Amino acid sequence: MRLLTHNMLSSNIKGVVNGFPLRIEAEKVVEKTVEMNGDFLKKMFEKVDWKAFVDASRAMGYNELPEEADPSMLDSDEFLNNFHHALLELHLEEGALVCPETGRRFPVTKGIPNMLLHEDEV
Amino acid sequence: MKQINSKVDSSLCTLAPGKEPCITDPLSVSGNSTTSSMSVKSTPEIEKKFVHHVYDAIAPHFSATRFAKWPKVASFLSSLPLGSLVLDAGCGNGKYLGLNQDCFFIGCDISPSLIKICSDRGHEVLVADAVNLPYRGGFGDAAISIAVLHHLSTENRRRKAIEELVRVVKKGGHVLITVWAVEQEDTTLITKWTPLNEKYVDEWVGPGSPRARAPSPLPLESIPESEESGTGEHMKVCSESNVSRDLEEEKHIKNQQEYFVPWHLPYHRAEISGASAHALAAGLATKDDKKGAVVYNRYYHVFSEGELESLTTGINNARIVDQFFDKSNWCIILEKTS
Repeated sequence: MRLLTHNMLSSNIKGVVNGFPLRIEAEKVVEKTVEMNGDFLKKMFEKVDWKAFVDASRAMGYNELPEEADPSMLDSDEFLNNFHHALLELHLEEGALVCPETGRRFPVTKGIPNMLLHEDEV
Repeated sequence: MKQINSKVDSSLCTLAPGKEPCITDPLSVSGNSTTSSMSVKSTPEIEKKFVHHVYDAIAPHFSATRFAKWPKVASFLSSLPLGSLVLDAGCGNGKYLGLNQDCFFIGCDISPSLIKICSDRGHEVLVADAVNLPYRGGFGDAAISIAVLHHLSTENRRRKAIEELVRVVKKGGHVLITVWAVEQEDTTLITKWTPLNEKYVDEWVGPGSPRARAPSPLPLESIPESEESGTGEHMKVCSESNVSRDLEEEKHIKNQQEYFVPWHLPYHRAEISGASAHALAAGLATKDDKKGAVVYNRYYHVFSEGELESLTTGINNARIVDQFFDKSNWCIILEKTS
């Protein structure tokens, strides 16, 4: 699971008011290089909840992102590279995504989150 | 607290010839769970047995036959702006993930087996339910639902799945939905399907239902199986076949929208899968020694003309921008307006 995906995921358990962001419990993180596309990154920057993104990257062991960011930073190659790296090249292989309100753990196995709810959670 | 599958869909009532089956769902509220009824997000038994378990059992074989890219879907995806985030809900074996190399795809499916196949191919995927997408709203640039909604067994669930697709895209984002049509171009194909009647109400209702299990006045209309079309998905256009039918039978078929569609899993694949032994023991699959295959049934609610459109009329933040019939599928493209 990449952090781009994580930035979109939300706990949809019945009764939860705000299930975003899910807290990451990282057991195994791998890095897979992928080509950078500046235009794509600029588009994604507009979508991403930055605070959730930074917190998630730190949970994955990456500490290069600034606490706050604004679009002007996209002109900096260094920032762009770091953004790219955190957004698309870090993969949570094993661990869990934790609902911020209920503490329910959604397992991540072989890079795949399982977001299915149990009968009593719908 | 255990959910009881007590709410009965009157849509799944006796389909006597000449009688129009009602398709309105007794769960008239828009999907919010009430104290006495099953939540629209709860999976009915028929879907667990005849959709989820089947796809998990047949996943590799199913995936091997899913390679042809449907032009209409391909052109929709290719027309998306560079850098679009595309959500594929019910992505199956990931056939369409990455089809447009300038977009980023995230796929989800209810079948862990199919998702594993997607993941092995390097796609970004997760296991999730199309009726309850675990995405925050407005994040996607576009969404697709290709041959998915016909596996949902109630009108409310089908509507909910569409609402979810609209919810997860941004304002101005587009959603493409395709579903199998009642109006099949190859009419001989339907003869291989089993129309469902009251005998199968059990499956929808589940154990403990108050609904009376009176013996059906109609015998099960199982039609002897002949060779099923290999691809299942209706990619081939029907050659001119003059199938002469009883007018009565034809009318009955026109009203019929609930079916079991067989999938033949060759024995050697069934052994690899392992799940088939359990399915056979549980009576969810049968053996066809002549064909050397385990036969599974997949539940389908095939759509009639205008049905997709009618499901969207209650969605006031989306408008229809296109709808068409193509290769025995009804298709619709929605745009989120606010």
